[in-house]
Amino acid sequence: MGRAVSQGQGRAGKTASYLATVWVIITLNFLLPRLMPGDPFIFLSGEEGEDLPQITEAQRAYYMDYFGFDAPLHVQYGRYLCRLAAGDLGQSVYYNAKVSALLADRLPWTLAMVLMAVFFSTLLGTLLGMIAAARRHQWADRALFIGLILVSEIPAFLIGLVLLFVFAAGLNLFPLSGGMTHFADDMSWGQRAADICRHAALPVATLTLARLGGIFLLARNSLITVMAREYLVTARAKGLSRARIFFRHALRNAMLPIVTRVFMGLGGLVGGAILVENVYNYPGLGKLMREAVAHQDYPLIQGIFLLVTLAVLTANFTADLAMQRLDPRIGRAGMAVQP
Amino acid sequence: MIFKALSKTGCLVLLSLVLLALAPGCSRSPDQAPDQTTDQNREQDQNQATASLEGRVEVIRLSGGDYGYPSPYAHYPRGPGGYKMCLIFDSLLERGEKGLIPWLAEDWQVSDRGKACIFTIRQGVVWHDGRPFTCEDVAFSLDYAARHPMTWSYVFGAIQNIEILPENKVKVTLREADATMLDLLGKTRILPKHIWEKVDTPKTFTGPNAVIGTGPYRLTGYSREHGTYRFEAFDRFWGPRPRVGRIEFLPVSEPILAYEKGEIDLVRLSPDLLPRYEKNPDHRIVKSPGFWGYRLLFNMAEKGPLQTKAVRQAFAHAIDREELVAKIARGAAIPGQAGILPPDHIMADPSVKEYKVNPQKAARLLESAGYPALDFDLLCSGREVRMAEIIKQRLGAVGVTLNIISVDGKTRDSRVRNRRFTLAIIGHGGWGGDPNYLYAHCTNSFSSSTSPLASGGTGTASPAFAALLKAQCLETDPEKRRRLIYQIQHLAAEEVPEIPLYYTTAYNLFRPDKYDGWLFMFDHHSLEHSKLSYLDWKGEI
Repeated sequence: MGRAVSQGQGRAGKTASYLATVWVIITLNFLLPRLMPGDPFIFLSGEEGEDLPQITEAQRAYYMDYFGFDAPLHVQYGRYLCRLAAGDLGQSVYYNAKVSALLADRLPWTLAMVLMAVFFSTLLGTLLGMIAAARRHQWADRALFIGLILVSEIPAFLIGLVLLFVFAAGLNLFPLSGGMTHFADDMSWGQRAADICRHAALPVATLTLARLGGIFLLARNSLITVMAREYLVTARAKGLSRARIFFRHALRNAMLPIVTRVFMGLGGLVGGAILVENVYNYPGLGKLMREAVAHQDYPLIQGIFLLVTLAVLTANFTADLAMQRLDPRIGRAGMAVQP
Repeated sequence: MIFKALSKTGCLVLLSLVLLALAPGCSRSPDQAPDQTTDQNREQDQNQATASLEGRVEVIRLSGGDYGYPSPYAHYPRGPGGYKMCLIFDSLLERGEKGLIPWLAEDWQVSDRGKACIFTIRQGVVWHDGRPFTCEDVAFSLDYAARHPMTWSYVFGAIQNIEILPENKVKVTLREADATMLDLLGKTRILPKHIWEKVDTPKTFTGPNAVIGTGPYRLTGYSREHGTYRFEAFDRFWGPRPRVGRIEFLPVSEPILAYEKGEIDLVRLSPDLLPRYEKNPDHRIVKSPGFWGYRLLFNMAEKGPLQTKAVRQAFAHAIDREELVAKIARGAAIPGQAGILPPDHIMADPSVKEYKVNPQKAARLLESAGYPALDFDLLCSGREVRMAEIIKQRLGAVGVTLNIISVDGKTRDSRVRNRRFTLAIIGHGGWGGDPNYLYAHCTNSFSSSTSPLASGGTGTASPAFAALLKAQCLETDPEKRRRLIYQIQHLAAEEVPEIPLYYTTAYNLFRPDKYDGWLFMFDHHSLEHSKLSYLDWKGEI
């Protein structure tokens, strides 16, 4: 009984802490854009060749009133919370559209690209890590180690540019930019899907390469650590086959930090996505975020940050669940097990 | 920001290397199709053949990007969204190569000492939905724009009365006389009354009805997330025949690579790549007029040495603007003029004096003003740090020490607007527009606008100078106003209220075999933004 009460209190405490985190995030999302100097209606300078609007003070006052930015901060905050509670993310100042609609337009592209990159980088990184761990101190291990360390040190946008110039411009194997071929109305569903995959190939490859080194190192080190554990000595003493020891006992335990890394790294991937989407002019969320900050579009910045932070929280939560599944000791007795 | 900074130079280096390495593959002429020719390219080649037969091009493809739904209210404020909208919507006057030209208004007449203008409205014009265009539409549009500011609005709050007169005339009376009235009213887009009279929130009004205009093109495709647009020629357009059947704007990563692959038909060329195309007859290079520029602002609202004319003149003698053009713009710019208006401006006076680089004279001027040594903060954004360093070096040689404060662009803009600076560099376009911006640049009136052209002016113009600046605002006789503007440029050169550093002149590259109808508007630096670029324009209607 006493244990049930304490478990219930623990759950309530955890929920309260999650809610408090969400509230802090929402408040920061509201405040941060407004702490930036200037406002969305000041246009004094631009990039070379860029056309800027001419806005009089009367027009600025009209827009400030239209978007409610002339109200005191606490009133704006109250309105923001009320709208948010009703599921309304507000109206973008620059894009002149509902923030939720803009996010819905762009999210699938980024999500698909990021998930594909996570899948390929995890799969390839783990596989290469396994090879390196199994061939430790041999030439394959050394070559993979040095090669992937070098690749992981190159910034994502630079990898993107090299791939763009070589495979799109030079070899003409992939399109130069965009998410799909436009104004090709006679494409079948199959052709359209193949076209979207062709356009996504280089952005996904860029993000995959950028993440590969990290996953490889983690998988290799984790496997090497686990292979030295005493229970594996026991497994070997029992006469289990090498493959069974490696895949069933070593790999499963070595997967724990990899899974954590995959989920914890999702937030960081958005950063990579911004760069890659800009290199390829890919129609994703990262590009939208850069533009929203550049234009000081308060409602849009709030919407994107909220989505990203909620995605990271969800990723953490999913990581917890996945770890429990991989290692049933986690969560059952309320203790974390280090691999 | 890091990406922007790194990619600008990094990208250019990589690009140059790759272009050189891939020269044989990339330098094919448009009709030498590559082994892996796409359907798109084949279609382009066919279109070219058709074009040479009929003198009309079926399709032109240009670099896209999302700039909003092309209605006068829904397009985005920055970027070329407004010019796309102008393909659909006409205005009373249009921007020709040498000045404003008659468009939906066949004629106009200024009256009531510059407070009113009577437009004679063109007959026989139809909207894209087939309904006839009338004076009612003109009166409605101007009234509507005066109540709801269009994204590029020029008449919001300025109109007192609109009257429909007999013989297809519309009289517009402003609240006060304004020399820029024709520009203000002439550029305002005309909307179909039968559609927009039912719209209360124009900014959120989108859909097929929101893009019904009288212009030469209809919108037949738009994707917000991909930044694509497709415009098709309107076969019942009242004016010059469209020479381009379809205009498509597509997303592009590296424009020059897209041009090389034949994906786009016009590109802005980096000066570094100029030698590659200069002598190739398949390509033509056209230099843009210098209507986008950088200027050095003095905060003369602050008490101190900058209020002394000799100090500002010393700055003008010390800063080598040719050096800035050579080192920063790599030759693709015109040095700033002391008269402020760029040399390509239709009202620029070529006889205005210029400040030759003369460090000795600068030092003497400072000494005579009682400031042999000075120390200032120079505010700029990360993009202008190299420019600021060169200026610092030149001014250092005459005894002026500069502390460069580099902040992000928005912070700089905000500090300039709130006058929290001593010296600042800003860069923007619009230098080819109505010279009324001289008023804001040379007086203390910058708080009246958040726009680049009217910003940064913390000048304390002398009484005679201020009187001239005021007089040109009210002078509606074009010739008299031109003379006033000339005098103002001479006085600006004398009083140095700011120092224009340079006006950029981009290089535009296109294949004349594909299409050669490109032309500039008299006040703008982009070929693709001119509506006339796509029409069979013979200089008059």
